[in-house]
Amino acid sequence: MAKAHLTHDQFFTQLSALLTATHSSGHGSIHLSQKRLTFDTTSSSGPTTDKIPDDPLWDLHPPEPLPILVRATDGKSTKGEKRIKNPDKVKLSTVVKPDEIEAFFARYAEVCKAGMAGLKKRDRSKRKKGKGKKGAVGGEGGTKA
Amino acid sequence: MVLLETSDEWQRQSSLLLQARPTTARITVKYNVPNLQSPKVQKAIKRKGDAEGGKKDVAAAPAVPKAVLCLKTYDPESGVCLQFKTDRAAEVGRLITGLGRLGRHMAALPQKTEDAVMEDVAAVESTAVQDQAATTTTDKAQPGASGAGGGGKKKKKAKK
Repeated sequence: MAKAHLTHDQFFTQLSALLTATHSSGHGSIHLSQKRLTFDTTSSSGPTTDKIPDDPLWDLHPPEPLPILVRATDGKSTKGEKRIKNPDKVKLSTVVKPDEIEAFFARYAEVCKAGMAGLKKRDRSKRKKGKGKKGAVGGEGGTKA
Repeated sequence: MVLLETSDEWQRQSSLLLQARPTTARITVKYNVPNLQSPKVQKAIKRKGDAEGGKKDVAAAPAVPKAVLCLKTYDPESGVCLQFKTDRAAEVGRLITGLGRLGRHMAALPQKTEDAVMEDVAAVESTAVQDQAATTTTDKAQPGASGAGGGGKKKKKAKK
């Protein structure tokens, strides 16, 4: 990862831009991932949580909560027929500190809900049919995604 | 590779996997908008049309590509991969909130969020009720309320 981690604000702005770009291009994928961050971001000395040989469950009880690394990419690692490395691959990453998890994921959910517009909308037509005349009006609006 | 039927089941199994392997397990989410021009998708559409028989013309031309959301929890050390797929927009919010809850396992934070809120609300409510009656019963009500909340948490306690 050549680029540094983004702040949450930058991450969300660029993620929604990425989602919009995928929709305007008509097809494509976005890969999001999250994992525990066990490397120290401030120094390049290596993992901060060293494996303790005597304790096989060393990672189950770390001394203090660890941050989470969240990444987003457009999955375009290669380009062209020859599958050469794509220099324009979109790679976003951010670090979520333990005390920011709730706030981060609340915004994350909002961004994803807004950005993932290609998914099927809630189909209200079936349920409203049984309820009578109102269903016809509501159904028309709700059927087509 | 296990493909789970419901998001709740995926959430539950993933949380168990993350509790067991919080360092190595990772969650990936793939949001895919298929390319309608690609041979692969064309073939799938055609196959689907054939299976449905006479309805070919209806199924063969979806103007808007149908996006798919695929969630995976993968642990490279044990090779466990839990998968869940959906195409419903209504589930996105719930799933991402679920990711946040699973993120707490990764961060090694105690699992409390909603439970704690519920406990607090229950405690406050019971306190308010008890205050009207008698102050002595309040002390009894609070441990009772938090105990009930702890019971609802199930298997989370084993971790510590």
